[in-house]
Amino acid sequence: MSISVKDRLITVKNNISKKPHILVDTEICDSGCPHQCTTNVCPAKCYEIIDGKMRFQYEDCIECGTCYYACDQGAVSWSYPESGHGISFKQG
Amino acid sequence: MEDEKFDCIIVGGGVAGCAAAYTLAKNNCKILLVEKGEWTGSKNVSGGVLWGPTASEIFPALLDETEDPPFERYVDRRRLSFMTDDASFSIDYKNQDFAKRPYNGVSVLRSKFDKWLGEQVEQAISESDYPEDSFVATEIVVDDLVFEGEKIVGIKAGEDEFLADCVIIAEGINNLLTRKAGFLEQTTDAHLVATGIKEVWQFDQDLLEAKFQLDGLSGMSNEFVGCTQGVEGGGFLYTNRDTISIGLVLGIASLRDHGKAVYDLLDHFKEHPSIAPILKGGKMIEYSAHVVPVGDIRAVPKKLYKPGAMVVGDSAGLLMNTGKSIEGMNMAMESGRQAALAVVEAKKKADFSANSLSCYQDKLAETFVLQDMHNFQGAVRFIHNEDMFTTYPQLINDIMKQVFLVDGSPKKKTRDIVKDCIDDSGISYYELMKTAISGGLYL
Repeated sequence: MSISVKDRLITVKNNISKKPHILVDTEICDSGCPHQCTTNVCPAKCYEIIDGKMRFQYEDCIECGTCYYACDQGAVSWSYPESGHGISFKQG
Repeated sequence: MEDEKFDCIIVGGGVAGCAAAYTLAKNNCKILLVEKGEWTGSKNVSGGVLWGPTASEIFPALLDETEDPPFERYVDRRRLSFMTDDASFSIDYKNQDFAKRPYNGVSVLRSKFDKWLGEQVEQAISESDYPEDSFVATEIVVDDLVFEGEKIVGIKAGEDEFLADCVIIAEGINNLLTRKAGFLEQTTDAHLVATGIKEVWQFDQDLLEAKFQLDGLSGMSNEFVGCTQGVEGGGFLYTNRDTISIGLVLGIASLRDHGKAVYDLLDHFKEHPSIAPILKGGKMIEYSAHVVPVGDIRAVPKKLYKPGAMVVGDSAGLLMNTGKSIEGMNMAMESGRQAALAVVEAKKKADFSANSLSCYQDKLAETFVLQDMHNFQGAVRFIHNEDMFTTYPQLINDIMKQVFLVDGSPKKKTRDIVKDCIDDSGISYYELMKTAISGGLYL
């Protein structure tokens, strides 16, 4: 039953904007954040620790808002993709 | 569209925004409903069961269509399951009364359902006094509000400004505008929100109906406790026409503390021996997630109105969760309706001051929305208690195992089973009594 996040995301239509809608100050994540929780709370795996450093990509974002509320260190600047972009659910 | 001043601009084409826009159009107001997605509903997600009569009170056409209604199924069967990793104990309840209109609850898929609501708004606009001057505008992201001193007089989207006597903010839980308007502080504590993660699985419709013993449009809702590996929250499974919605709602602060990945928790839930066989023969057709309020009154703005603005639905944190069901969409729709009726009154008086719009909050306080939220605050604390999603599901299943076990040794009587299981659970009788009393008091 287990499905990879990548295979899950294929099921969502996403018109990715060239402009990132979420900005992450990864220096905050890398310098003493006690939990780096975005790596486990994000359902789309947009946050990953690679070579000991936080890496963020907005392209897979499904606009759920979890990181917006989860980060208590002020690293996440959250907004929606610009008009005409981002995800569209068929079911929802 | 830019040159016109509207009676009201509604930001967000979800259930709250559509309920507000429809009520306003029906009352001959000149409106602009702004939605960021491709269509109303295209970015919307919920579990989701829409409970109670509110939706069909506002949109009577919801019940007109008998063959292919905009909702998925009516819920006449409720199930609540307490789980451990290898067992589950369920309370299963079915009542024909729930199969009667206006239905106790209906399952919905928001992308389809809210699209239908948007069409209803357009229909109401076409029948109003402003068929050419009211609009449902999609693919517009609202960046900010327009202020005139203290008063909110419109919205900004890119280079464009749209002006109105009043703005209803129905943007959902990711409520950037609500904060810009000053309804809430810039941040909300993660303890006051949860994240929902969901998969929609498609089946042959006959197979689905056989699996859940469904007949016609009848449907089942199943909530689960104890399936989240110690993370605060629970699971859900709702039947739709030829699909099921299955997922988890997880406290964000608790996720942060536990460090478990949400998709791994969902996989674990789906692998449960009671769930895995259900998914056999199905295909996962859509993955989604969204933040939800947890129903804590501390996340609700003290005042839901300001000069020229009101806040409704998830943007205002309106939700009730008693563990047995989560009511959010009905509260959103009722708040949308009440805010719209306040605009209608304000228009008559040509007074959109805070004082004039305060009747929205007064009216809402008389409805189930604020009454239930206030009355069930104890429930929010009660189900936050870690024992509720760890120790108690374990205890219930330990007891049931001993009740049903036939292992060739002489059997214990139920009273002794319960006593032994409680002793093994590590819960004191004092704690147990306290939980029983608070459960009775709060739920």
